[in-house]
Amino acid sequence: MAIDELEKKLRPPEAQLAPYPSKVITLASGETMVVRECRREDTPALLGTVYPLIGVAKDYYDVVATRMYNEILSWFRYRIANMFALVGTVNGEIAGIVTSRHVDSKVGMSLHTLAIKRGLRVGAQLFAAKMEHHLEYLKEDEVWVVAESPIGFKRWMIEYELEDRSALYPAVRHELGGVPTFVLTRKLWDAVKAAKCTGSRPVPAELLKTADKLIMPNEYVQLPGWKRNS
Amino acid sequence: MGVRVGIVGAGHCRFGNSSEYDVVDVIGYSVNAAFRDAGGIHLRKEVDQVFVGNMASGLFNRETAVASALVSRMDMEPCPAELVENGPASGASAVKMGYMCVASGLADVVLVAAGEVMRSVTGWESTDIVATMAHKEAEYNMGLTLPGFAGMVTRLYMEKYGMTERDLALVAVKDHANGAKNTYAHVQIPVTIDAIADGPNASVVNNYVAEPLRMYSTCPVSDGSAAIILVNMDSPKAKLFKRKPVRIAGIGSATDTHCVHNRKDPLVLDAVRLSAEKAYKMAGIGPKDISFAELHDAFVIFELMNSEEVGFFERGKSFLAVRNHETDIDGRLPINPSGGLKAKGHPVGATGVSQVFELVRQLRGEAEEGRQVKDPKYGMAVNFGGFGNNVITTILARD
Amino acid sequence: MIDFSAYGEQTPHIKGIRCGKCGAVYYPAPMVCGKCDALRDPTTNKGWEEFDLDGACTLLTWTRVWNLPEGFNKKYLLFGMVEFENGLRASGRIEMEGDPKSGMKLTARAIEADERPGKPVKVLVFS
Repeated sequence: MAIDELEKKLRPPEAQLAPYPSKVITLASGETMVVRECRREDTPALLGTVYPLIGVAKDYYDVVATRMYNEILSWFRYRIANMFALVGTVNGEIAGIVTSRHVDSKVGMSLHTLAIKRGLRVGAQLFAAKMEHHLEYLKEDEVWVVAESPIGFKRWMIEYELEDRSALYPAVRHELGGVPTFVLTRKLWDAVKAAKCTGSRPVPAELLKTADKLIMPNEYVQLPGWKRNS
Repeated sequence: MGVRVGIVGAGHCRFGNSSEYDVVDVIGYSVNAAFRDAGGIHLRKEVDQVFVGNMASGLFNRETAVASALVSRMDMEPCPAELVENGPASGASAVKMGYMCVASGLADVVLVAAGEVMRSVTGWESTDIVATMAHKEAEYNMGLTLPGFAGMVTRLYMEKYGMTERDLALVAVKDHANGAKNTYAHVQIPVTIDAIADGPNASVVNNYVAEPLRMYSTCPVSDGSAAIILVNMDSPKAKLFKRKPVRIAGIGSATDTHCVHNRKDPLVLDAVRLSAEKAYKMAGIGPKDISFAELHDAFVIFELMNSEEVGFFERGKSFLAVRNHETDIDGRLPINPSGGLKAKGHPVGATGVSQVFELVRQLRGEAEEGRQVKDPKYGMAVNFGGFGNNVITTILARD
Repeated sequence: MIDFSAYGEQTPHIKGIRCGKCGAVYYPAPMVCGKCDALRDPTTNKGWEEFDLDGACTLLTWTRVWNLPEGFNKKYLLFGMVEFENGLRASGRIEMEGDPKSGMKLTARAIEADERPGKPVKVLVFS
């Protein structure tokens, strides 16, 4: 498709990012979660999945969902550079989504983690997958992380023992609005990855196929009584 | 023969996250359910005494005197009401107080309700609040928590008896299989042994909490409530209630050292053994007569140790019984058919009444399909206050 | 009289206590001696003798806690239960690299810790 000159000027420069190899994780329930990189054609299902959560104030779902909606939309419409999203699916249904951005060969910028299926540590697995992509496949030196909820702070900052660089503000400034910046360095990642990151590769073709066409959840535990098509 | 005390109404809410509700309303929900079960909300006017079990609403919710609040919320004034606090055994202690009150002749009808809303604070804060029941200077100040003690005791048990982490996971698999069928359980998700112990992702999916205890060796943090109505079965008031009473056959309780390190052997839970012995004696039965049991399994090691202390299995052998499926719902002696604290959840103050509620359901034959114990005669509940240092055992009978 | 020692640098100690009447030792201090029924007045400890609970001890069991309570902004802490040479037991933190081993010999000391709000507290550390 031809892109007009002005649109070309508006689009950010894109680097060719190494792909994230899909993996499969057996959750405690015995269900298998396929984790794969999102593609452009996934956008309607991703937006449709995130959208119902923008009114859920509990656990800061509203902040994360509105920002993630924006990120996915901006990525689709070429208004954010070098972003990637990973999705976790159980029987094809979206269980969680993470977003992130490759800044340059040294730095990754972690954006958001949204767990839809609760109680099975889906968010923790997807966050770990995101860090894995940054450090193992995009081969950056470090990932900058902020937390917008107390649970995020505990999960990422304390459990990963992230390096606190908030004293270096504004020289070190995460893109998400100046919230104190913490950093997952390669050394810290190497210390935690065995305990935090798991999954098997390659994903059997039949299983991978279930994640091909993303299915939006019909119900959300975060939205009691809500049904997609009612 | 003394006064016969029976349970003629039982109510429960689904355990989980009720943090947006007031703790008194959460308890009131189960009270309503108990009266509906007993024959109607009008029966609240027949109540002579209310006992409320709650551990720490002052800390979790900045609300105190919840028994007084409950009678007022339920339009039950001027009924006498008291709060009973015995840590995570507050519920069973409230049942015991209710029993004593009826047995003494002070009351013919007693409402026992219990509840806790813990998720009003973060998980880290609730861990801290629960830890306040440990010895202040010698335990709490060290940073020790209940999971920490459970981890240390589990390691001792493993080193002494050869139990493995996989054995702990087998208890969780059994409990979650039951909890998945329990309408009132917090976690209604079955888990598989492959996913939490054997498979390649298990060590990450089932992460360590307090080594060697993992996430699926510990109970979730839950909110919830339960309520029961006790009557003097021989009083005229008993006839006002439509449900056939389920009789309280035995109650026993005992205490142990506050500091865990001061027990001769931290693997021996004296208070559990002694409380069970008293309850058996009062009921005139022994361990072999028990059809099923609800055992306090805030950590799965407790289910195993409790099942040994109450005489179901030899010391150090209970995990072998789990391996052999003897404690499954269709096994020789089902343990935690409700899912236990592990899957049903553990709103600390509510747990003791919730366990008794489960005994009532099972003995009436009203449990959900797939988790109803076959033809039960006697059910036992063991509820821990503290780290096994204040324990109540209750035995109910289907007459 | 003013106790000027209160203004000096304090070295934290955790105390065991000995019954002056029968010699039984305890940690933490009870209000009554379980051996001879001697009462302890916690305001004076008269007739009882405090001593430092530190030095050589044997590790009975241990755990690494990953989900620490509020205030403890650490990935994990090691905790252990030990037995001292006088037979007293105690629980506290372990400081070491790698995994401890039940039965290993450790040395106990007291530190001050301030993870929680309020005054700093005394903590037993085994290393």
